[in-house]
Amino acid sequence: MSLPPDFIVLCRDRLGIEEPGVDGPLVPREQVLSFASALKDELDFRFFVTVVSTHYPAEEAVEANEEKGTEAIAAKPDRTVVMYRARRLQNAERPTSIAAFQVEVPTGESTPSLCGVWAGADWQEREQYDLVGTIFADHPDLRRIMMPEDWPGHPLRRDYAIDTSHFPWR
Amino acid sequence: MMALLQGMDVWLGQGLILGFIVANVALGITGFSILFERKFAGRMQSRPGPTEVGPLGLLQPIADVVKLMSKEDIIPRSADKALFNLAPPLTVLAAVATLAVVPFAPGVIVADLHIGILFALSISSLVVFPIWMAGWASNNKYALLGGMRQVAQGISYEIPLLLSAVVPIILADSFRVGDIVEKQLDGNWFAFWPIGPGALAFALFFLSSLAESNRIPFDIPEAESELVAGVTTEYTGMKFGLFYLAEYLHTLVISAIAAALFFGGWDGPGDNDGLLWMMLKTLALFASIFWIRWSYMRYRSDQLMAICWKFFLPLGLLLVMASATWVHLS
Amino acid sequence: MGHEHADAVDETQMVTVGGVAVPLTLTQTPWPDPHLDIEAYDPDADMMALNMGPQHPSTHGVLRVKLYLDGEVCVKAVPYLGYLHRGVEKLCEKLGYAQVTPIVDKNDYVSPMMNELAINMAIEKLIEAEVPRRAQYIRTICAEIQRVGSHLLWLGTFGLDMGGAIGGGGSIFMHTFREREMILDLFEELTGCRFHYNTHTPGGNRHDIPAGWNTKVQQVLGHIGQRLTEYEDFVRDNPVFRARTVGVGIVDPVLAMDLGISGPILRASGVDHDLRRDAPYMAYDEIDVQVPVQTAGDCMARYLVRVAEMRESIRIATHLLDGVPEGPICSLKPVKLPGAVKAKSGSAYCSIESPRGELGTYIVANTERRSHAQPYRCKIRPPSMHALQLLPYMCPGNNISDIIVALGSLDPIMGEVDR
Repeated sequence: MSLPPDFIVLCRDRLGIEEPGVDGPLVPREQVLSFASALKDELDFRFFVTVVSTHYPAEEAVEANEEKGTEAIAAKPDRTVVMYRARRLQNAERPTSIAAFQVEVPTGESTPSLCGVWAGADWQEREQYDLVGTIFADHPDLRRIMMPEDWPGHPLRRDYAIDTSHFPWR
Repeated sequence: MMALLQGMDVWLGQGLILGFIVANVALGITGFSILFERKFAGRMQSRPGPTEVGPLGLLQPIADVVKLMSKEDIIPRSADKALFNLAPPLTVLAAVATLAVVPFAPGVIVADLHIGILFALSISSLVVFPIWMAGWASNNKYALLGGMRQVAQGISYEIPLLLSAVVPIILADSFRVGDIVEKQLDGNWFAFWPIGPGALAFALFFLSSLAESNRIPFDIPEAESELVAGVTTEYTGMKFGLFYLAEYLHTLVISAIAAALFFGGWDGPGDNDGLLWMMLKTLALFASIFWIRWSYMRYRSDQLMAICWKFFLPLGLLLVMASATWVHLS
Repeated sequence: MGHEHADAVDETQMVTVGGVAVPLTLTQTPWPDPHLDIEAYDPDADMMALNMGPQHPSTHGVLRVKLYLDGEVCVKAVPYLGYLHRGVEKLCEKLGYAQVTPIVDKNDYVSPMMNELAINMAIEKLIEAEVPRRAQYIRTICAEIQRVGSHLLWLGTFGLDMGGAIGGGGSIFMHTFREREMILDLFEELTGCRFHYNTHTPGGNRHDIPAGWNTKVQQVLGHIGQRLTEYEDFVRDNPVFRARTVGVGIVDPVLAMDLGISGPILRASGVDHDLRRDAPYMAYDEIDVQVPVQTAGDCMARYLVRVAEMRESIRIATHLLDGVPEGPICSLKPVKLPGAVKAKSGSAYCSIESPRGELGTYIVANTERRSHAQPYRCKIRPPSMHALQLLPYMCPGNNISDIIVALGSLDPIMGEVDR
């Protein structure tokens, strides 16, 4: 489902992004709260769909290679990309549609929690914190939800080995 | 042996021997009523019920009892041992003792007390006490909640129970159960005559006694989907079995009392009076209690209380006044 | 007497919130604070912390709820999840796209067709594969029959919550499960499994309709339609059922939208939203889906919506069966090796209407050269988890019996909540 036109207008006005991709524009951390509030209050995206946090390990810089014609790619730090999705329900004037946006959070830093905007962000952000390690600032109750409280590490990170000999039970 | 019995006071002899027989027969019937209920429920749900143990599943109660007796008897460390152990037998005792004043056939009654009905209702109301003891002594929040609900429910439904039992007392002008049955001979059953108050009094008595013995729709103290097993959560083995035995026994006893009070007891068609008719009426009422159980869900405890105080109690008072007026006018 | 609820729909006063019409009465109560500080609340009150533990005869799976009770009234409810967490999302990162279907089957273990549909639709969106029309029809028919089965199970367990396994609840439980067995037999003929079918695959389906299946389905669904009337008579006009469900567990639709709750819960609170009609997928564009909506927002309304949905699903499935087009059932070649289905880059989010609400799957493709056949990140958006988030808002002010009934009417499946 393609992004609705008034959402694209919002992206252009607030962020200066002309063509957001399938997962929406990359929103700077300082603007996340205001962008989300605008989505909910101005554009009526009141139905909270999901928040997904994906871990990307650090990447080294790649130099430009003139023979192959590839350009230089800058180094990227160890980061998680948090994608929020919200839905606007159908009424007589418009069909239902989904809007999305992403926030890039370097590991160790935090992104503002959107619990104040959508109440549903509460547990979903807790789950992403638990499994991927993204820290949400100003979350009312940020603790683990799936794993036991004293579990070390964040299982869904790419550097968390799945076939480890760590035996969790005592 | 016989000479010894004949030498004793007839009342004592009849009471002891007959009481022994009645208590054992009642316990035996209760054991098989568990099978009867499961078969009945199965048929209501389009399935056969227990069929494995013995022909047609008839030995199922024996299998159940053996299973329960072979379980380990676990007592929580912080439970009050004396009360914890005392509660199950007391419930059975309260249920069985009521059978002492039920007339099974003309002249066949364990203790022909002048205050028959009063005795029956007082003793059967004692069943509230051991259930609360079990809840409190278990030292378990679920059991405590169940016990508290039981107390509230039990003492509230005493009142409509007594009021509805007063109607046959007024109509027969006696507390003696034998007198009440004799007044209903040859078809003048109190459930149908006088028209109206009798039937209502029966319905009130029936429903209040369902509440007293914790049957659905009033079984909130044992609500298993909410309170695990309610009052009996911490009990294992035969003690657990005794609670359920007491519940079925109590149900059987109130069926017998209702049959005696409202349906003429051992009165049969024409001149055929006797034990057979008493048993038939008791079993018919017993089966209808099962029917209700497998059709309805349970009421919430505050709805239960509302029904008792706002509906049953005024109705009971009205019925007493109506029957007193009837007797006065006729 | 039993139609009071349905008649009241037309006269309810609606107000528009966010462009969506919702009943006014449901939006009046303020939302309780789910993060209430119990110490500061009332240090003198005799508060009992009751743990409805992971093992409980009625919490629909392993859910632990810590209830702070003031007498019999709840003040705060804290659910604890994760008892059934099996690491499905991490597992999917190791498996090929064609292999994730059996793993994801076990999420919402009551309606496996939905899980399979959601993930395979997302994979197809990612690899830009077309699904042949015949497969679309088969998928839709299976989804609708699965919806009937899921709601039948819900009805049985809802009766258990209220009446106990020995009692009136047991009767309705036995009856609905008997009908559900017929549905499972149908699926066994189609896929070979009674449960957890593994019949959807990227590009289409693996199993085609066997001969004679059409007539069997028509028979079974017709039979269930008749039985539904019996169940309605048994349950809906049962005075105890009405006493336990009317006015219990009222859900504010604005709160529901905020939490991301959709499905029967949202529709019972007056919001007319159904992905099958509003964002049609598979063969739903052929059908005019009638969406049942109630405005009372309580357990009785949710019951009425689910029963109406069952009837609607029966109608849709029987209608579609007549017109299944001929053709292939899978657009990709049959998958023999795990690495056969590859996606080089991109991401996709796809959502369907499961019996519990919006079930979505988000897949990010792995751009690393050797791992194109595995997802980089696979996230399943479980509707039951969003519905469970309602507990801290719904429990305060109710007593335990009402909490159990309300929790039952939310129909949470812990398999998909915890994954």
